[in-house]
Amino acid sequence: MQYTRRDVLKTGTAAMAGLALPGSVAFAQAQAAAKAAAAGVKPTLVVIYLRGGADPLNAIVPHGDERYHKVRPTIAIKNARKVNDYFGFHPAMEELANMYSAGTLCPIMNTGSTHPTRSHFDAQDFMERAAPGSREVTEGWLNRYLTATHVDAAKDVELRAVAMQATLPRSLRGEFPVLAMPDGGAGDVLDRFEAAYDCESSREARRKNGGEAAKDAALETPAQAMRRRIAESGRESIAQLRELNKASSKGGKGYPKGRLGNQLRSVARLIKAGKGLEIAAMDYDGWDHHARQGGSSGTMSNMLSTLSKSLDAFAKDLGPAMGHTMVLTMSEFGRTVAENGNQGTDHGRAGFMMAMGGPVVGGKIHGGWKGLEKNALVDGRDLKVQVDFRNVFAETLQTLFGFRADEHDFFPDYKSNEKSLGFVKRA
Amino acid sequence: MRLRLAAGLLLLLSVPLSAGAQTSDERAFAQHVLNRMAFGPRPGDVDRVLKQGVNAWIDQQLKPSSIDIEVFDDEIAKLAPSLYLSLADTAKRYRPDYKKNESREQTKKRNQNRAAVQKQLRDAVLRRAIDSPRQFEEVMINFWRNHFSIDQNKNDVAWMAPSFEAEVLRNHAFGKFENMLIASARHPAMLVYLDNNISQKPLTDQQQRLVDRYGENENVPRSVAALGRERGLNENYARELMELHTLGVDRRYRQRDVTALARVLTGWTAKLGRKEAGFRFRADVHDTEPKSLFGTRLRGEGERQGLEVVRGLARHKLTADFITRKLCVYLVGDNPPESLVKNVTRVFTRTKGDLPRVYKAIVTSKEFRDPAVRGAKFKTPFEFVVSALRMTDAKMQSADRTQKLLEEMGQPTYRCLDPDGFADTAEAWLDPGVLVHRWRFAWDLAHRDLKGVKVTDATVGSETSATLSTLAALDLSQDTREAVAEAAASGGNSARLALLLGSPEFMQQ
Repeated sequence: MQYTRRDVLKTGTAAMAGLALPGSVAFAQAQAAAKAAAAGVKPTLVVIYLRGGADPLNAIVPHGDERYHKVRPTIAIKNARKVNDYFGFHPAMEELANMYSAGTLCPIMNTGSTHPTRSHFDAQDFMERAAPGSREVTEGWLNRYLTATHVDAAKDVELRAVAMQATLPRSLRGEFPVLAMPDGGAGDVLDRFEAAYDCESSREARRKNGGEAAKDAALETPAQAMRRRIAESGRESIAQLRELNKASSKGGKGYPKGRLGNQLRSVARLIKAGKGLEIAAMDYDGWDHHARQGGSSGTMSNMLSTLSKSLDAFAKDLGPAMGHTMVLTMSEFGRTVAENGNQGTDHGRAGFMMAMGGPVVGGKIHGGWKGLEKNALVDGRDLKVQVDFRNVFAETLQTLFGFRADEHDFFPDYKSNEKSLGFVKRA
Repeated sequence: MRLRLAAGLLLLLSVPLSAGAQTSDERAFAQHVLNRMAFGPRPGDVDRVLKQGVNAWIDQQLKPSSIDIEVFDDEIAKLAPSLYLSLADTAKRYRPDYKKNESREQTKKRNQNRAAVQKQLRDAVLRRAIDSPRQFEEVMINFWRNHFSIDQNKNDVAWMAPSFEAEVLRNHAFGKFENMLIASARHPAMLVYLDNNISQKPLTDQQQRLVDRYGENENVPRSVAALGRERGLNENYARELMELHTLGVDRRYRQRDVTALARVLTGWTAKLGRKEAGFRFRADVHDTEPKSLFGTRLRGEGERQGLEVVRGLARHKLTADFITRKLCVYLVGDNPPESLVKNVTRVFTRTKGDLPRVYKAIVTSKEFRDPAVRGAKFKTPFEFVVSALRMTDAKMQSADRTQKLLEEMGQPTYRCLDPDGFADTAEAWLDPGVLVHRWRFAWDLAHRDLKGVKVTDATVGSETSATLSTLAALDLSQDTREAVAEAAASGGNSARLALLLGSPEFMQQ
């Protein structure tokens, strides 16, 4: 199957596979990225997890494939925003289609797990730990990266990663302490409780001067030791949040209302503050469209629109900082190629990812697309996995952060062998 | 010999002490017992327990049936009728009746039923923890709820979970471990949650060849297509049964044992009809081929073989150690003394997993009574929230906001994503950010700003209210005392209460 960048080249606005033309957005971002690298600014990875199994085929639409229209009689997208004579974007993703044309976004098709599960539960778990079928590691892949690259710096506040939501996505759970906080703010609460957590320097000073405490840790009772741990954690919470609030003072306009927009706005504030944020992760729930998925309009269309408009606002908000920022969207699996009896789709196998930002080789559809003919499908119904998600993760960590997964035995019983998909630019 | 001595000591201890003869240590012990064997004291509880005699109170709590809860039970039945229905009746009333091409109204109704039955269970769990007079029963059911964790958001588990709570956990938490294990293994909620329901004997070579021959051919005969759809073995439950429910992770078993156990359990499925719902053994998908577990050839086949194997796992010495250790972590400390684990494991083995006797062995041990273990545990979000609501004598009209906050704190009731249940150690919970949610909760609760929950003047009206004086009597650090006094000076008694509930000391138990 050929999928050319004909449209892109025709309009002549942007990039071919990583080659940014002067005057283009991609070029500006590449320049900004080079400048940032020279100034020692760390790149940032923003992971958005589309929970529920997002349908690849109504997002990145194979409009030029007859079979697509045949097996999806009621939900096929008729007015895709074409990027070549085979693929197009769902019309609700207009902004993302523009980024594709400008060379700052690329879809990766047929991504997924080597484990055949079609259970949300297991598929998410395997993916977020980057350990299909294995229980060997309990920590998320992003947390493992943070732990492996942790240098015991003298800095007392470290905001290397955040989740701007109530609980950590599993990819960020683990040994490395990551702040989970739905929003910055919380200022008043911090002020109210900081005294109980011994934050005032005067108190510290009094202690150091031998006040009542300065007890030998060995003489502490377990209860005293626990109180100290709690107080320390409270102090760290307050310090990290203060840091976060300081960094988050600047606005950010144009985001759609809702959780995703809010989260991206908060993350943009942190990135703009340049405090060394490496990773932000967030969830966008509700992609399990078994019934009434809708086509050009409807449930899924609305969600794609929210995603597209939020990411557009994010890119505009960041401006040049988008040059060293990469967004990666993913989902636990794709859905059946054919629609079911309820104008929806059931759990399938391979899904899709999208990568966006300065480091991305945009304007190209990556992955291993093999068409929709039955013999190209699993069980005659689902897209086959051609790209192991671990390779996407490995390439991301290596190109963004210079972290070589294989050298750290990052994936249990698996080597990526640094097989590059080429969707991220090499430094 | 040692055991007999311990039993004699126990008899002595269980003589109620007279109320007048309390020492501060007895008071501290009563506080400890209420922290660990209840979800924290209500105002006045410490005195009540001292009056009854701490050991008499313990003995009573160890026999939940001796505490009358008829009135309370009626309230729960009103709040959560699904907890009192058979599985088939729950299906009739709440099961989402999914129809092809259903109308919007039907979809709405289906979703409402699902939400209603989920809410009933979540609210009943919370309400019982706060208010049940059988506090130790609730404390232990909370343990088993996490040991045999299921997620009510997974498919049909939504409407089956109340029956699981009632028939597996509540029925057996004060019975034999073995019976609880078997009940869990046969309950449709577990069978669906851990996929044993869809686990089937692998295709024979001949069947596999047939499927391969047709491959992706469009004109596959139906019978062959049906074979191709069979997903074969699903090892999910077999693995967790050994890893989480009995032996402990990577102990004794290997991958080949997981596969063998999965084959043993093929055919253990759930019938989910409206007329009949429950366990169903399906001989047609059961693997009758010979199997070996831990290097030993298993006898027989069929449902009986499975029962024997599950029973064998319940009685395994590693299971006794694994369960005992976990119980000691829960009731005594994150790193319980080996001497305690060893002694209690012996009780577990000797009594064939008679749980009340195992609990008793723990709470009457010298390790449980050692002052050093007091206050050494970090409360889970659930324990923190429930203990705060108890301490403030809060009246709950709607639990929705509180449930939402529990979710924000990372512990949504009956919605643990992982089959290993919520952890109960400080290591799992004490991360940056965690305390901020608790401070917000404490502040809102104390300022009567927590939706659906009422705190009265009796609680915050005066500095000498039962709640505030009980909290003030805790072993507070100098920092906390100063911070509380400062807050009260500007913000009055609500601020005083908030600071006390949000203090490091109130996070400890």
